[in-house]
Amino acid sequence: MIDTVREIETAEGISLRLRAAGALPRAQAWVLDLLLRGAFFIVAMIPLSIFGVAGNGLAMLLLFALMWAYAVVCEVWMDGQTPGKRALGLRVVHADGTPVTWLPSVVRNLLRAVDILPGVYGVGLVSTLVDPHARRLGDIVAGTMVVHARELPAGQQVPAVPALPLPLVLSADEQAALVDYAERAGQLTVQRQEELANLLTPLTGLRDTAAIRQLVAHVNWLLGRA
Amino acid sequence: MKQERFVALHGKAWDRLQSWLHALDRQPRRTLRQEQALDFPAEYRRVCHHLALARGRGYSHEVTDRLQQLVQHGHRVLYRPPPPRWHRVATFLLAGFPRLVRAQWRCMALAAVLFYVPALAILLLLQLRPELAHTFFSSAQLAQFEKMYDPANPHIGRSSGTDLQMFGFYVMNNVGIAFRTFASGLVFGVGAVYVLGANGVLIGGIAGHLTAIGYGGPFWRFVAGHSPFELTALVIAGGAGLQLGLTLLAPGRRRRGPALVEAGWVGAQLALGAFAMLLVAAFIEAYWSSIASLPDPLRFGVTGVLWLLVLGWLWRGGRAVRRGA
Repeated sequence: MIDTVREIETAEGISLRLRAAGALPRAQAWVLDLLLRGAFFIVAMIPLSIFGVAGNGLAMLLLFALMWAYAVVCEVWMDGQTPGKRALGLRVVHADGTPVTWLPSVVRNLLRAVDILPGVYGVGLVSTLVDPHARRLGDIVAGTMVVHARELPAGQQVPAVPALPLPLVLSADEQAALVDYAERAGQLTVQRQEELANLLTPLTGLRDTAAIRQLVAHVNWLLGRA
Repeated sequence: MKQERFVALHGKAWDRLQSWLHALDRQPRRTLRQEQALDFPAEYRRVCHHLALARGRGYSHEVTDRLQQLVQHGHRVLYRPPPPRWHRVATFLLAGFPRLVRAQWRCMALAAVLFYVPALAILLLLQLRPELAHTFFSSAQLAQFEKMYDPANPHIGRSSGTDLQMFGFYVMNNVGIAFRTFASGLVFGVGAVYVLGANGVLIGGIAGHLTAIGYGGPFWRFVAGHSPFELTALVIAGGAGLQLGLTLLAPGRRRRGPALVEAGWVGAQLALGAFAMLLVAAFIEAYWSSIASLPDPLRFGVTGVLWLLVLGWLWRGGRAVRRGA
């Protein structure tokens, strides 16, 4: 299976679609987070330097928080997204699609220490490439996964024209194909629209622009418009 | 029912839910206080029902995609993590954590053996053959240890720095080690075994060398205060790592995946408990252990009390609660 979409049935009897995020966007998000943390640390050092040696202690506490707590706090309080993940449109969720909670987030971020070895995310990279849901070791143990948070654009509205009944009964699949065609026609070039419409000349008895118009009219009838 | 009619019937309700969810993203607190928040679970389930109907009836993507997005967003809101409850942190530290340590006593005992046996062995070895210190440490390292615990040093246990600076350093350093010990346990437990053993050798070596050259007084006075928390936390973090690695090697009568998730759950709690212990240890180390003027009976008396406290807490903590429940 090439598709990275994971369908999860919920208690409500519907299925959620989780689109697993691969190594590249996650690496980008990580670099972004790293830069952000670095910048924050440098800015914070300016007031801390006033305290002299004691400021060093505070700086180390801050560094500790940025290293270990940053990701956990962001993931739990910002809806599964660190600022880097938010910029890249990624989100951490449990394997069942529910938002990530404290302990799984702690597990996946502590085990980052293993994923980051050797070099820069060697283990993590191999793991994301091997795993069907692109999880690194920390995700596998925590029972979480990183998904694309941005929704794909929904289907477009079919242009409203006077409805025209179909001359014969089409099966449900055929009807769905017709409706899909009308919804997507806006994203295709006119030539491609005509080419597809011409395949249905036996149904419409027309060619080119007239065939497109007639198919859209049929679809309006299928959708139940007056 | 035709698609258009379905949308005409329910479209308004979908729009209402959608705008409420968007408002929730922008102003979470205010939106949750609205009266509409009470209706949200019912509204959400109704939309789920609509999605199932739309799919079953083969409606077009315009409707199913729209409902799917609405449902995914609603699912995220309905199943969001609860706000943290601070009394649960206290309950966990007082009862849950000791119980968890006892439940994993085999791994904890193994970790303790892996740490204390090399430490004591090296400590004794260096009393008999002090020159062996040079095989464990370089001359520069030995010189640094000797400077830190020089009886002439007014601040024992450190060459420079204030209490706050050292507190930051101890937290960063020790907690980092503990977390890495736990995480490295995932590599079939090898990482945890190595870190425990290496720290045993390191600590035993320093203690042995300083005792052998006659700097034992400042050294033992310094480490006495924080050792109950620090050493125990290190052993617990190592035990948590071992537990993770052993689950990977021998998951028992479960599949590896679910077994690992369960072990990760336990391990994270143990690591968090060790983190709390190391915070206490760092505080003691920075603000109590370094006071040179304390009389020895007080210092070692407090150490004894702390050891009793830590071991008693781990041994008895959470028992009465379980009986009550």
